[in-house]
Amino acid sequence: MKYVFDLEMSARALRLNRFLHGLTAKEKRNLFLDNPEEAMKDLSVEEKDMVRRLDWKAMQDYGASFFCLEKLARAKGVSNPEMVSAFRGETLEQFLKTRKVPGAR
Amino acid sequence: MARIIGGIGTSHVPTIGIAFDKGKHDDPDWKPLFKGYEPVAKWLAERKPDVLFFCFNDHATTFFFDHYPTFALGVSEEYRIADEGLGPRPIPSLKGHAPLSRHIARSLVNDEFDLTIFQDLPLDHGLHSPLSMMWPSKPDWPAKVVPLVVNVIQHPLPKPGRCYKLGIALRKAIESYPEDLKVAIVGTGGLSHQMIGERAGFNNERWDLEFLDLIERDPERLARMSLEDFMRLGGNEGAEVIMWLIMRGALAPGARKIHQSYYLPMTTAMAVALFE
Repeated sequence: MKYVFDLEMSARALRLNRFLHGLTAKEKRNLFLDNPEEAMKDLSVEEKDMVRRLDWKAMQDYGASFFCLEKLARAKGVSNPEMVSAFRGETLEQFLKTRKVPGAR
Repeated sequence: MARIIGGIGTSHVPTIGIAFDKGKHDDPDWKPLFKGYEPVAKWLAERKPDVLFFCFNDHATTFFFDHYPTFALGVSEEYRIADEGLGPRPIPSLKGHAPLSRHIARSLVNDEFDLTIFQDLPLDHGLHSPLSMMWPSKPDWPAKVVPLVVNVIQHPLPKPGRCYKLGIALRKAIESYPEDLKVAIVGTGGLSHQMIGERAGFNNERWDLEFLDLIERDPERLARMSLEDFMRLGGNEGAEVIMWLIMRGALAPGARKIHQSYYLPMTTAMAVALFE
């Protein structure tokens, strides 16, 4: 899989990406943090499950845009290096060992 | 008449803005990055452009895939700082140069670049993560901006050559504005990085340095490359450096690079370059 976010992927994951993008609105973000099930009520069972588990790799494979995933990551206090490690199938510690300045995050 | 006094190419990694907001100027992990921007900040303080024309991308923050424009030009007097999930950054709203924006819109559409026009929308880190490294934000920004938002996140993206041609048309647009204004062009993005897939964490320092050479010396060669070439060499997300080609196209063909800094601490190669 080449992971190019194209129109097919965008159409397939529009509902999930719309939910993730919605987290840029403070009231939706607070609702998600306080009452995630209510905030996710329009998502499918599969989508809810991936969001609940913060399964970055599964969401990516499903068609979530990286930039929409960033909104969820910020809301949950997860850094980009943590997401990148998940895509690589590594722990954060393993990933940081491959970087020049592991503290720069 | 308005004139273009120079150009800046810069990364727009969100952590650049976060490092600035957290005051990491003297943190050894970040100091090389801050040092790299000092000559650019000095140049801007001395040359005092009235307007910075910014070529950057929104990160599914203000624009969403229900309506994602390829090229969108802001025509407002003011742009709020967008909330990207942590609340807006603690920096002032950006002041826009609406009359220049409107003139550029008319000129570019007349030259067959059929832009989307937006107003009263907040802008994300694509513009202001590098801006706060180059311009003082306290008590307020010293001058105005004109934002051009480019789609580099949902394929099909504009071709590299199209970006370069847009820059050439942009030069004509700015130089035909009747008021005496000094304008600097900022192209943002890159350098090499890939955030997704098994190749997440990919960098290519050799290609980055070649890009920094070619963008000065032979931008037409870059403009002839395919988007797939940029993705293969610089990573899927690194292909966003095509936005530097808009900046370079707007400069004189013989423009010279007078400063360059390159720092690759984590996932994205952070570069800044100044052209005159």
